[in-house]
Amino acid sequence: MTTFSIIGKPIAMVDAAGKTTGAGKYTDDLSLPGMLTGKILHSPHPHARIKRIDASRAEKLDGVVAVVVGSDAPNPYGILPVGHDEHALAVDKVRYVGDNVACVAAEDEATAERALELINVEYELLPAYFDPEESMKAERDLIHDNKPHNVEKDYHHVFGDPDKGLAEADHIEEARFIANEVTHAAMEPHSTLATFDIDSQTGKPGRLTVWSSTQVPYYLQHKLSLVLEMPMSQIRVIKPLVGGGFGGKSEVIPLEIISAVAARKAQRPVKITYTREEVFWAHRGRPRTIIDLKTGVKNDGRITAVKARVVQDGGGYCSYGVVTILYSGALLGALYDIPTIQYDGFRVLTNKPACGAMRGHGTVNVRFAFESQLDELAAKLNIDSAEIRRRNLLQAPCITVNGLRVQSYGLPECIDKVVDRSRWKERKGKLPRGRGLGVACSHYVSGAANSIIRSDMPHSTVNIKIDRDGGVVVYTGASEIGQGSDTMTAQIAAEVLGCSLGRVKVVAADTDLTPIDIGSYSSRVTFMAGNATLRAAEAVKKQIAAAASKKMNCDLVDLVFRDDAVRRSNGISTGHVGTDALARPAEGAPSFSRSLREGGDVDSSSPTVSGRVEGQILRGSLQQKRKEDDAPKTSMSFEEAVVAAIDFHGALTGTGSYAPPPEARGGKHKGGGVGPSPAYSYSAQVAEVSVDEDTGEVTVHKVWAAHDCGRALNPVAVEGQVIGSVWMGMGQALTEEMIWKDGLLMNPGLLEYRSPSSVESPEVEAIIVESIDPEGPFGAKECSEGALAATIPAIANAIYDAVGIRLHESPFTPERVLAALRAKKNAKPLNLTEGVDPTSPTTFREHGGALWFKGKGPERHEGSVGRAPSPASGEQ
Amino acid sequence: MSLSDFRLSRPRTLPDALKHLSERAGSIRVLAGGTDLLPSMRQKLFEPEHVLDLRQIKELRGIHETEQGIEIGALTTLHEIEHSQLLRQQYPVLVEAAKTVASPLIRNMGTIGGNICLDTRCLWYNQSLAWRKSCGFCIKKDGNLCHVAPGGTKCWAAFSGDTPPALLCLNAEVEIVAASAIRRIPLRDFYTGEGDDYRRLRPGELVSKVILPHSSSGYRGAYRKLRVRGSIDYPLAGVAVAVKRSNGHIEDIQIALTAVNPAPVLVKGLNIFLNNGGIDESAADHAGELAARTAKPLTTSALTPEYRREIIRVFTKRALLAAIES
Repeated sequence: MTTFSIIGKPIAMVDAAGKTTGAGKYTDDLSLPGMLTGKILHSPHPHARIKRIDASRAEKLDGVVAVVVGSDAPNPYGILPVGHDEHALAVDKVRYVGDNVACVAAEDEATAERALELINVEYELLPAYFDPEESMKAERDLIHDNKPHNVEKDYHHVFGDPDKGLAEADHIEEARFIANEVTHAAMEPHSTLATFDIDSQTGKPGRLTVWSSTQVPYYLQHKLSLVLEMPMSQIRVIKPLVGGGFGGKSEVIPLEIISAVAARKAQRPVKITYTREEVFWAHRGRPRTIIDLKTGVKNDGRITAVKARVVQDGGGYCSYGVVTILYSGALLGALYDIPTIQYDGFRVLTNKPACGAMRGHGTVNVRFAFESQLDELAAKLNIDSAEIRRRNLLQAPCITVNGLRVQSYGLPECIDKVVDRSRWKERKGKLPRGRGLGVACSHYVSGAANSIIRSDMPHSTVNIKIDRDGGVVVYTGASEIGQGSDTMTAQIAAEVLGCSLGRVKVVAADTDLTPIDIGSYSSRVTFMAGNATLRAAEAVKKQIAAAASKKMNCDLVDLVFRDDAVRRSNGISTGHVGTDALARPAEGAPSFSRSLREGGDVDSSSPTVSGRVEGQILRGSLQQKRKEDDAPKTSMSFEEAVVAAIDFHGALTGTGSYAPPPEARGGKHKGGGVGPSPAYSYSAQVAEVSVDEDTGEVTVHKVWAAHDCGRALNPVAVEGQVIGSVWMGMGQALTEEMIWKDGLLMNPGLLEYRSPSSVESPEVEAIIVESIDPEGPFGAKECSEGALAATIPAIANAIYDAVGIRLHESPFTPERVLAALRAKKNAKPLNLTEGVDPTSPTTFREHGGALWFKGKGPERHEGSVGRAPSPASGEQ
Repeated sequence: MSLSDFRLSRPRTLPDALKHLSERAGSIRVLAGGTDLLPSMRQKLFEPEHVLDLRQIKELRGIHETEQGIEIGALTTLHEIEHSQLLRQQYPVLVEAAKTVASPLIRNMGTIGGNICLDTRCLWYNQSLAWRKSCGFCIKKDGNLCHVAPGGTKCWAAFSGDTPPALLCLNAEVEIVAASAIRRIPLRDFYTGEGDDYRRLRPGELVSKVILPHSSSGYRGAYRKLRVRGSIDYPLAGVAVAVKRSNGHIEDIQIALTAVNPAPVLVKGLNIFLNNGGIDESAADHAGELAARTAKPLTTSALTPEYRREIIRVFTKRALLAAIES
């Protein structure tokens, strides 16, 4: 068995110190001489035509340098090639409360805010659409003229013969599930700083540099190029530290373009940092989703058919929507063996902020429905709910009915582990009243096999440079957003090269310096950028090995790179060098390694001195040349080997890239490009909850989460990602929900949008399962998203076990739970208003499940007293 | 969101503070802990020309025993109340309520005076200027309509302090000072029941202390707070119960509610439970009904009004039984 020296060890994140001490710089920490503050004017209306914008009063305000509006940058853009429907600032229409209308760049924030009040916008109000099922009936006043019935995109997939499958089923369950809208709530609000260099030849604004809180610097560079009509080569995007993304920074967010447009007009650097409310308006979170799900099973629990109709409330723009609705259908497959599938997906436009990608993109809400329904079927058939999942396992390696290639498949072990650790067999169904256990599974892609930009370029490219000092610099476009991207990169490079982690410096996510990588989303970085790093390191290693083999007079294959040294495997030990061996240099071998290990405190009288330690690289190499006449070495220090390689080859650089193999790229059907991945992660979870039957309050006591990540390159990071996923899933399951009234977000802040606090966060036992994927770097797959989707149904199923109610709508707020308890007992129903009854949500409601606002809400009213009529409302 | 410009005064003595207050009445806001005022100022709910920071005034701090009872200076932090041995022994329900306020960090800053004077809250009010503009404002600030009770002219913003219901149960009084006068009123007379003009504090006046009478010492009690999260949140409904027993008999029961009306309110009609040996399930149920009838929750916060009223019923019962047990 191979042993590793760097990977597989719990290692502190390479950027941890700066984050924990506060020394680390996020975008909003940056500042440039002459920098202005940008503030954006947002639409107060959900759907309106802009007739006129008069910014003259704002422009005259002392301290205001520039005001920009839609016509300053009218080119449309969007993250998907099929969805170029956004403008930096609204050109003709606003499509949600919070849409971007104008931007003021001023000397300070207060001045910019005052100037916003002075911009007069004349709107013509249009009927607005808030409910996707109503929106789909629209004939006129469409949100986008080229999208009939406000349907962004619909897909209708049939794999196998689902009708036959249902006919053969012994039991069929059918229900409507609703998962309400949630958002990322990353700690760092979006922030962008943009500046133009003055071109030395023309004196005009030349190259653009943008620092931004982004997961995808390359896409940002591309969209800036499109909107500003500049070549990409003239645009540099740098990603400083990012305080969490979760998908919310995985596409180009309006402020990123607006700050550049404002900087161009103001001819000064402009920084915009969103308020938390603006983060909610920028959104791109998980859409509220209606799922009509039908599953047929045989008496033994084997699934015969699945039919799903999914409607997503996508908001006012396409964003990633087409991909989201495809993921919802595609990842019905690849978890269990499902012989027939029918999927009808509708991505619908409404007058609310655009939804986009969020952790577990497209898969989470459908997984909640599916795993809940499977649990219901298990109860009907009197099969243990863990057992019914075992009976539907895939026989990997295989290709699913919808064309997904599954190679490594750790799900069976995940189920075994959580069943074992939670003492499921002894305790399930035997806990005191009000307490229960529930199980659910989930999976996710390790990067999309097909990139959204429809290009044949590699998805990741990594360059490595090693200088004579033995310092390894890795250049990668992969974006560290807190998930451990930089650490993973350093670990893989160090492992391959056999050098210590401290030698490796990662230069990441700077489009001038780093080769193209399509970014941190769809859990692609470890698999794809990791593979590219591995290949780049192998390429460099090959050059070092060629030089070292000459020095040691041996074959390349006999060389072992490990512990900052290159050895002949038949030398001091057989390819398995431990620390003990290191401490006792083999006869004739220079004692560099020990010197290094002792912190470079070298005895200057030593006959063999490394170039680095003496600071005299040339002398070092000359000495080596002289020693060539000596007997062949059995070992060289890493530096020595590097110097030798540079002497032989000149510069020591290597490059590696990764593109998913053609056989992993999925079926040929329309929309078949979304869902395929070179590898899938697998997760199984057991949740233990208790329910207060008088109040409906749910407490999660513990979650056992087993996750198949292929190989854990850094176990502590894997556990962190799994725990974070469970926690975020618990938020969606119990407390988090965006509440709307007439297109107005009622809870645009972290006080009223309730992510769990530490008090109600349960113990999460993260269990790592390693299936060693044949194509992953060292066998690794994703670990950051897949676990989230299992948490919601695991909690729902545990609630069922505890008190016998089946919840069809998330989050499971106490009022929904109490209403269901009352309904079950036929007790006096709690008049919680129509639709809150979670046992049968039949209509889709604008207000979110809680329906705080019964009946027709108050009219928007104008000309209010007390404050001067707002300029925006003066004209109606 | 920026803070608008204002002049900050940091007097060291109470007379200085009161002089400032009377001279600038109408254009001044008082800052004690600042945990509520500053976010509200950023939202442009208040745009005062002057802010009077009381924190240098030592005489407004501390918990002191006097002949009349225990006096708590208005600037005493909720953290200090939470950890006061004296209060814990004599007025445990107050300590329990103080412990539930927001989060530990906020309790380090937030004061008892601030919690008593806490501005009423509503989802249509505690929002940014841009947000409020987009719905045409409301009665409480800048507008003339109510979104919670359409057609009405009364403001229903809910009083959402945690400690006042406990103080009401303990028959607390507040001392109100102005440049020219000192007055002392029962806390129950301090609140008006109107969401937009919720407290009886005239221009130039300041709450300087809260007084717990000796006669309320030794009440056993409990506070139950409905919140979605175990920390941070304001109450969505809250019930304080205080019970006095002597010789096995129940001498007095007080129940007060918060977050379900524009003022913290005492539940009436509890005398029927007195002079009994104890409170059984059905009596507790009955008390719950009385409390639920007192609550008038509206759509000012998360969770439906119907649910919050139901929880008042359940929590009253539970708190009462817990108080009897303790």
